[in-house]
Amino acid sequence: MDKDDKNQQGQQGINTKVLKQGLCTGCCACVNLCPSIEYYKDKTILVHDCNLEKGRCFTYCPRTPTDFEMLRCALFNPGDMVLEIGAFKGLYMTRAADENIRAGAQHGGTVTALIQLALDQGFIDEAILADQNDQFLPAAQSIVDKDEVSGKSGSKFAVSPTLSVFNRISKTDTGKIGVVATPCQALALAKMKVNPVPEDKMRMEKLRLVLGLFCGWALDWRKLQKLLKEKTGDRKIKGIDILPSKYACMEVYTMDGTIEIPIEEVNTCVRDNCRYCFDMTCEFADISVGAARSPEGWDVDRGWNQVIVRTDLGGQLLALAREKGVLEFKAVPDKNIENLKKASAGKKLTCLINLSEKTGNPDDFIYIDPEDPVVRHIKKLRG
Amino acid sequence: MSSILFENKKDFEALLMGNDAIARGALEAGVNVVTGYPGTPSSEIVEQLANVAGERNLYVEWSVNEKVALEVAAAGSYANLKSLCVMKQVGVNVAADSLLHIAEYGTRGPLVLVSCEDPGALSSTNEGDSRPYAKMMEFPLLEPGDFQEAKDMARWAFELSCDIRNIVMLRSVTRLSHASGNVIMGKLPKSIPEAIFEFSGTPMDQMKGAVLAFPTLVDSLRRRQHEKLSKAVAAFEESPFNTYTGPQKPELLIITSSVCNLYTREALTILNLWDRVGLLKLGTTWPLPSKLLEQHLSVCEKIFIVEEGTPFLEDNIKVMAAEKAKQVGIKTFFGRKDGTLPCVNELNPDLLIKGINHILGTSVQPVLDDYSAEAAQIIAAGVFNRELTFCPGCPHRASFWLIHTALKLDNRSGFLCGDIGCYGLGAGPCGFSTIKILQAMGSGIGMAGGFGKFDRFGMSQSVMAVCGDSTFFHAAMPALVNAVHNQSDMILVVLDNSGTAMTGFQPHPGSPAGAMGSKLPMLDIEKLCRAMDVRVEVSDPFDLKATRQILLEFLEDKGNPRVLILKQPCALSPIRKGRKMYEMAIDADRCLADHCGCNRLCTRVFKCPGLIWDTIKNKIQIDEVLCAGCGVCASICPTGAITAKKVR
Ligand SMILES: Cc1cc2nc3c(=O)[nH]c(=O)nc-3n(C[C@H](O)[C@H](O)[C@H](O)COP(=O)(O)OP(=O)(O)OC[C@H]3O[C@@H](n4cnc5c(N)ncnc54)[C@H](O)[C@@H]3O)c2cc1C
Ligand code: SF4
Ligand code: SF4
Repeated sequence: MDKDDKNQQGQQGINTKVLKQGLCTGCCACVNLCPSIEYYKDKTILVHDCNLEKGRCFTYCPRTPTDFEMLRCALFNPGDMVLEIGAFKGLYMTRAADENIRAGAQHGGTVTALIQLALDQGFIDEAILADQNDQFLPAAQSIVDKDEVSGKSGSKFAVSPTLSVFNRISKTDTGKIGVVATPCQALALAKMKVNPVPEDKMRMEKLRLVLGLFCGWALDWRKLQKLLKEKTGDRKIKGIDILPSKYACMEVYTMDGTIEIPIEEVNTCVRDNCRYCFDMTCEFADISVGAARSPEGWDVDRGWNQVIVRTDLGGQLLALAREKGVLEFKAVPDKNIENLKKASAGKKLTCLINLSEKTGNPDDFIYIDPEDPVVRHIKKLRG
Repeated sequence: MSSILFENKKDFEALLMGNDAIARGALEAGVNVVTGYPGTPSSEIVEQLANVAGERNLYVEWSVNEKVALEVAAAGSYANLKSLCVMKQVGVNVAADSLLHIAEYGTRGPLVLVSCEDPGALSSTNEGDSRPYAKMMEFPLLEPGDFQEAKDMARWAFELSCDIRNIVMLRSVTRLSHASGNVIMGKLPKSIPEAIFEFSGTPMDQMKGAVLAFPTLVDSLRRRQHEKLSKAVAAFEESPFNTYTGPQKPELLIITSSVCNLYTREALTILNLWDRVGLLKLGTTWPLPSKLLEQHLSVCEKIFIVEEGTPFLEDNIKVMAAEKAKQVGIKTFFGRKDGTLPCVNELNPDLLIKGINHILGTSVQPVLDDYSAEAAQIIAAGVFNRELTFCPGCPHRASFWLIHTALKLDNRSGFLCGDIGCYGLGAGPCGFSTIKILQAMGSGIGMAGGFGKFDRFGMSQSVMAVCGDSTFFHAAMPALVNAVHNQSDMILVVLDNSGTAMTGFQPHPGSPAGAMGSKLPMLDIEKLCRAMDVRVEVSDPFDLKATRQILLEFLEDKGNPRVLILKQPCALSPIRKGRKMYEMAIDADRCLADHCGCNRLCTRVFKCPGLIWDTIKNKIQIDEVLCAGCGVCASICPTGAITAKKVR
């Protein structure tokens, strides 16, 4: 790190090394730590200049230089490490047993069911979930009442300001907090948890559970809004989903039926920073949930989830869900783990290529250490 | 309300500020109608005369702008009254169109235009020089060279205007208007005016015909105007306000006017050169008294022209010297053009000493070049570094905080077009550097209206403009009308602090009373905007939450102009009576100082002078003396360490 870098580990560093580089994920880990950074309509904004040489915004940001290996060692059992998909205690295929949950959920409703359970069983006292307004602008909310959880089901395809709410809530005298997080958010939470600045130690002890979502990419809300307006006019939209790649489209469910938007057009709305994301399966969560894949085909799979358990806590929660009959389980096809590894490695490789293109240096990945074992593995896979 | 200035005695001496001397001169001339628009360094003249409006039976008004001020004064003249119109240099530009036509036709009752100008731009955004208007529009120009002359020439300007029946301009500058000197007073006349506008005569009957600027009349009007000028020159040739001091055949002839007269005198005394150098001080600077100049030019080869502003005298004298080359011979000229004097900024005796050293080879050391830098350094050691900032409790600080935040959140590289008023400071740190364009009165809104039309050329930035309440009436209204009519995508924020704050709370059309103190109907900015059919919201800039919401909504909105009126009286406004709205206190436990993460937002960014960082306790503190009790800082502290308790 040169001298300039040393002096720019605060807001100025966020500005020059993250925002201006187009790397900001919108995770909002830097929001509500201070009054100078705000989230507004899908954008992280430096409202007032801050000249601190070191700041929490920079320390926790998932796009500032990060020692991934140190985080993995601190949070997971080294024996569980799988280079492509992170700590791994098991892969499951599940869905919510409650039909009503499934009806409102993105896929199998596993996340909703698990959060309800975690609140109910006292794993956590509050859960930070993503909601959205009628224009699909996400808003994060802290939920205490388990009956309110299902109201927040369904994926919001723009980034939710979840961590700004975590920052706000964790400062109050609340109990244990659970967060449903995208991979960038889970990474920021890991940085906060493992290496909090002294003032934040107490606050971070409240972070109990990270329920991760698989993530290919998120959409830029402003661009999405424009596209939806173009395609659906004034029709009322009930929901949207992005189908597996072979369908190559986004489905928009409106009051007058489903409208398909070709994936190439959706791709133009993807947040630029997602091209530089190293994580598909939310490796820094206790438990990660995504869409299911099986030979039965999408019509069946869309009602199920694939779940990776990463920590003991995650394992306990899933076991409890089985015991209480909250989740239904079915056998995971043999090939799924390999497919997941392949898909995840693919995202990592794209990330590294895109980062080195940006820096013009094959070994400079801005926030990722080129000596990281996973990086070395991915480079080796590529040959 | 009587002060020594208005005492109805004669031949007594008093120490008067230049502007007071001009006001006294107008009274001695028997002025009836006084108009103006406030602007430093001119404002005191109208204010002083307003104070005796009742006593001296004057009509005094602060007009909506300088053009209207001149028109009201011209009406006075056409009604056979004695009229005075006062403005600062920039105002003459506003009034210029009417000025051209008044000068072309001429006047009936005397009409004197006083322009107080600001070389060095001490309180202006420019160094405008209005003297060329006199030449361009062909009317006489007077420039008093000391305080006595300020009074005497003001009075004489009315006589001259009466004699030649045309407008006369009297030009002062900051160092005359705002400095003081001894003045011997003349008597105040008894005048019983009878106002009537006559129109029974033929169009060319200046005193009795209709006042018409018709294309077919222009030729005759201009001939008549030139006759007036010739009459003025004849008077100037004899004028006691043009004086010469020095030897009969000087080595160097200095020609000067205005306060440069005083600087030159001081320099010549310091240099002890009165026996070698002659000083021709001109009080009548346009048209030039050619015989007088010929007489002086012919006895000296080296001519040094000393003036502030543009090289107005210099150019005109050079032209004259060329015309009279046969009689006066070849001259060497020194002045602003050849670099003997700097071509911008105010002059002073030191600059003159340097200039004379250069011409005559004398070697008296003026003040050292690095004097001011050195003095600043010495002073800095004992004086706190005070930034240019808004007063404690100034509503503008809150307004700019809000506009800055809204533009940032909007995230489209939006910018704010500024205007002329205290809020021009919005371009600096105390306004969070929000203003990015700042030029003339009303021009911010005009330009915002332009920027708001450029989406077809790919412009995607948000465009906002601010103006004050007085500025709104002065020049913003036509610009807003233009933006509305042309459907420009812009937002106007009117910073309504209930008065013309920067120049001293002169009333404007939105005020409940006029210059003379009597009650007048108040024009409502909100109603005016609504009548233009634009979206209008009114909010309190101290209510950060509500106002922020409106601004963000406005920024999301598209198409036609939107107007937000932010109402909150100036912290110094007389209507506040110095009362605090909130009693401010600190909850020291809540101020987390270096552990907060705010990095001292209160004293580093928001920076109200009422807030001080206690470096010993390392906590925020309220400066009880300075705090105006606006309560805004309580809303910006993220931990609630600053508390506000409502007073009353
Ligand atoms: C931006 C995005 C991209 C995704 N990409 C993929 C992918 O490529 N492959 C894949 O297999 N799965 C992906 N997922 C995950 C998938 O869409 C489902 O969220 C997941 O399968 C869980 O389904 P579920 O029925 O259990 O969820 P539900 O029971 O409906 O619960 C979803 C939970 O996630 C929360 N949530 C929704 N959106 C967000 C958000 N933006 N940020 C934080 N929390 C949120 C909700 O509050 C809710 O609690 C993505 C999710 C998101 C938000
Ligand atoms: S990635 Fe997250 S922490 Fe980093 S700048 Fe963006 S919002 Fe802030
Ligand atoms: S209340 Fe706060 S912002 Fe207002 S004048 Fe006092 S210190 Fe300044």
